[in-house]
Amino acid sequence: MSWEKEGKEGSLLKWYDIMEAEKYEYTVGPAGERFFQGLKENKIVGSKCKKCGKVYLPPRIYCEDCFTKIEEYVELKLDDAYLDSFTTIYQNDDGQKLTEPVHIGLLRFKGVNGGLFCYLEGTPKKGGRIRVSNFNYPLRISIE
Amino acid sequence: MKVNIHLNKRVAVIGAGMTQFRRRILETPQEIAWEASSKALEEAGLELKDIECVVIGSAPDAFDGVNLKGEYLSHGSGGIRKPSSRVFVGGATGVMAAITGWYHVASGMCNTVLVVAEEKMSPARPHPQSVFRYIWDPILEKPLNPNLIWIFAMEMHRYMATYGIKKEEIALVSVKNKRNAANNPYAQLGGNITVDDVLNSEVLVWPVQLLDISPVSDGGAAMVMASEDVARRYSDTPIWVDGVGWTLDNTEWPARDLAYPRYLEFAARMAYKMAGIENPYKELDVIEPYDPFDYKELHHIEGLRIAKRGEAPKLLKEGVFDIDGDIPSSPSGGLLGVGNPIAAAGLMKVISIYWQLKGTAGKMQVKKPVHTGLAQAWGDLMQASTVIIMRN
Repeated sequence: MSWEKEGKEGSLLKWYDIMEAEKYEYTVGPAGERFFQGLKENKIVGSKCKKCGKVYLPPRIYCEDCFTKIEEYVELKLDDAYLDSFTTIYQNDDGQKLTEPVHIGLLRFKGVNGGLFCYLEGTPKKGGRIRVSNFNYPLRISIE
Repeated sequence: MKVNIHLNKRVAVIGAGMTQFRRRILETPQEIAWEASSKALEEAGLELKDIECVVIGSAPDAFDGVNLKGEYLSHGSGGIRKPSSRVFVGGATGVMAAITGWYHVASGMCNTVLVVAEEKMSPARPHPQSVFRYIWDPILEKPLNPNLIWIFAMEMHRYMATYGIKKEEIALVSVKNKRNAANNPYAQLGGNITVDDVLNSEVLVWPVQLLDISPVSDGGAAMVMASEDVARRYSDTPIWVDGVGWTLDNTEWPARDLAYPRYLEFAARMAYKMAGIENPYKELDVIEPYDPFDYKELHHIEGLRIAKRGEAPKLLKEGVFDIDGDIPSSPSGGLLGVGNPIAAAGLMKVISIYWQLKGTAGKMQVKKPVHTGLAQAWGDLMQASTVIIMRN
């Protein structure tokens, strides 16, 4: 296929440039600040809609269904945590083989909307208790 | 006389909401969109479940720094599990979002639409201007590293040269708009300045000086549009959309007439025809022309056929466009005074006219009674224009 052929640099008229802003500085928002402050205290914080009772992770300042403002923040219990899915990555974005495969898990909590992508340490398996070994974002978790 | 345009439904605006426009808002783009949207629903007396369609307006993804911004914003815009779409015509987006909301209802497709516009200009470093670096032709224009300020400095210079307009005359727009913005609770840069302040401000790119130009802002705006039957049920004062128009002119910068905004004349004629307006100077009561730069408001007033070519500065000096004038222009304070979160600024102009016609503009309310208003925005490669005409 054509993309496998080697191109002849310089044989065609070309113009090289880059296209990006140098960098971005994002704000995490009021709910995001509660979430990241919580992680510093080894807590996972969600937010709860007082109208429908839905709990959001990561926390939000509004309920996507009721559209009302959320002001209540709740600490989620690791007893309710479970691994919804996981995957194992063998190559990096450039297609090179990683020296160690990386496991990524989707961490969720019973009765909570949303979840968090985490690095998964040890051997992934179904069921089992979730342990968080590192609360710095992105979280590192393992299954006991 | 109104032309015979076949529409299934008459469309009204029944609620609007805005966030404050500020330089660096703590809230995320989704949260900004939610704040504006929930306020609009509240004013309309509707809940999210009453909304059938969502239209999101947002300018380049690169401002907020999230690709697929329409999809990203839909969460805070009430667009989940609904037909949601995003419109994007650069700076003209804010009014285009309202026009899109209008045809969702006018076509008979749905009875209620939430129109949301959001922009967060502050995340890009070193300056959001760098986002504009890549809108030019990559081979012919980009090597000169154009930015919006020097490209408009070129346009401003041509406008001044063609009609013999002085900088003092143009500076009056900045003075007027910042003065109007002092009455706007959402405004970022309201205040009393003088022509001398503008002329003595830092020269950025001659003839553009610091006070000739709108600031970098974050903000959101939202509006609820509804069909006539729904509007009459929920509102005693529905504001009717009577004309819309949008046009794209030549996309090549070097090929356009810089002294006159032809792109706008075409868009305005389309909207006037629909609204049955033959003499805009006599028939329009209040206007919100797009004013990212002070000369641009004058330029656009001429493109709207409210003033003859080169004569807008004369009318401005006579006070025609003041808050107590014949045709108050940018009573909100415009982009120069309220701020310029691109798409949200365009929708802010539509909302300003809506509040004026409804009589709920508070301290911004113009002195004379108003029945017909117009809002306009401008953008893309600066050749797209969008116009909306409303009546009470």
